[in-house]
Amino acid sequence: MNIVIIVLFGVTLMYVSVAERFDTYVKLVAIQGILLFFLAFSELSGSKDMASLVFVVTETLVFKAIAVPLLLRSIIKKMRVAKVHTKALPAFYSLLLVLFAMGVSVVLADMLKIGRIEKTFMIAALFTVFTGLILVIAHKKIFPHLVGFLVLENGVFMFSLAVGSEMPFLVNSGILLDLFASVLILGLFASRIGKRLNDPNVEELSTLKD
Amino acid sequence: MMVGYLLMLISSIFFLGIVNRIKSIASGRKGSSVLQPFRDVLKLFKKGAVYSETSSLLFRVAPTVAIVAVLTSMLVVPFAGGNAVFSFSGDFVFFAYMLALGRFTMIIAALDTGSSFEGMGANRETLYGLLVEPAFFVMMGVLAMITGLTSFTEIFKAFNTIGDYSLLLGLLFSYLVILIAMVENSRLPVDDPKTHLELTMVHEVMILDNSGFDLGLIHLTTFLKFGLYSMILTNLLVPPTWAIGYQVVCFTAVVAVFSVLVGLLESFRARNKMGKNPPYLLTLTALGLLGLIVALLIIQKIA
Repeated sequence: MNIVIIVLFGVTLMYVSVAERFDTYVKLVAIQGILLFFLAFSELSGSKDMASLVFVVTETLVFKAIAVPLLLRSIIKKMRVAKVHTKALPAFYSLLLVLFAMGVSVVLADMLKIGRIEKTFMIAALFTVFTGLILVIAHKKIFPHLVGFLVLENGVFMFSLAVGSEMPFLVNSGILLDLFASVLILGLFASRIGKRLNDPNVEELSTLKD
Repeated sequence: MMVGYLLMLISSIFFLGIVNRIKSIASGRKGSSVLQPFRDVLKLFKKGAVYSETSSLLFRVAPTVAIVAVLTSMLVVPFAGGNAVFSFSGDFVFFAYMLALGRFTMIIAALDTGSSFEGMGANRETLYGLLVEPAFFVMMGVLAMITGLTSFTEIFKAFNTIGDYSLLLGLLFSYLVILIAMVENSRLPVDDPKTHLELTMVHEVMILDNSGFDLGLIHLTTFLKFGLYSMILTNLLVPPTWAIGYQVVCFTAVVAVFSVLVGLLESFRARNKMGKNPPYLLTLTALGLLGLIVALLIIQKIA
């Protein structure tokens, strides 16, 4: 079952790299959250620590699949811009980069023979992290950057799941990073910057003086 | 052996009729009969063809070559875990290049007319054909890799009986085959067969000069290609061990679902901008490569 979820996750990663509409980004982030919920559930359901299982699984569902997408949606409403108009890289090349990243993550996961980590998870996690990074470098607008960070942090979460049954603490710290990134960045963005700049372009930040 | 071939021929008669019917129902019309596209082709067959003075023999033979190429490539596609009409090692390469040959002659014929519109269409068709080919070959390569066999007949005999995840792979590749079929047949979202503006056409603008009998052949080629891809879909989804009766039922179901799906997709989706097509087509290859990784995991090369 895990492999089905991971493949679907991979498909969302490819689509997120070519997506243009903010709405699509939100949908994909929500789908990723739901997939991670199922993945966390099936991966951790064998562990004996019931409290940590319940915490991790509910946290994934509530934050990744519901709260963050809702928050993103409210940001979109405030921005009054529906899609990405300029990119640092054309979609064709970012997709090529993502494909390359997929190959690299397979080779890397194969080379790094870390004991007790499931290789499938390792590949998926590396691929997710790379895709997040590519999203960040391929875009100029803040919103896709945000999505890039969310994807990146989904990757970190997946890493922690790969060793999850043995290291619940790492899982929890991954979740803390999750909360940190989403709440802090989104909160700052929605309440402070979003009102001033519609459709903010990160390149404008380079004109700022000390 | 011939059952599969006949099924492909029969299904292709109805396929586009169902698509059109679904499209008209989705837009609130009653729609024409399911057989209407085929009747239109029959009507075209009764007409003669008009040829431009500037075009050469190439232009006259191209539609015939195209349909023969498709009919020939259909010969290597098996049905129900049986043998195809003929099969040999590496026949999926033959399959792909027979289809490519058909497309190539159509492109050459379009260039032969000397019309700048048709040149533009040929240009686009070449690009899209080029970009969709890797997706097909990655898919067939993966199937060949996990079964260890190299012909359609053998691959589909062995597929679905190995491993627990071959259903997953089957579904992934079915999705891919549907998308490839849409591109090959110049349907949405890459091309819109209903457009009336030459500048936005791809396949339609290539065949602007074809009329009468030739146009009928070209339409028939599209029908046949849909039948062909329906058969490949059936082979991917239905286990080859099932009895032949069930297989025929499954094939009918696949044709019905596939055509309804195409109809719905075309009703609710807009054509891509031209510039968006290359990344879209690259997504197909990406899905194929994802299939490759799944296959590597299944046969435990990297797990």
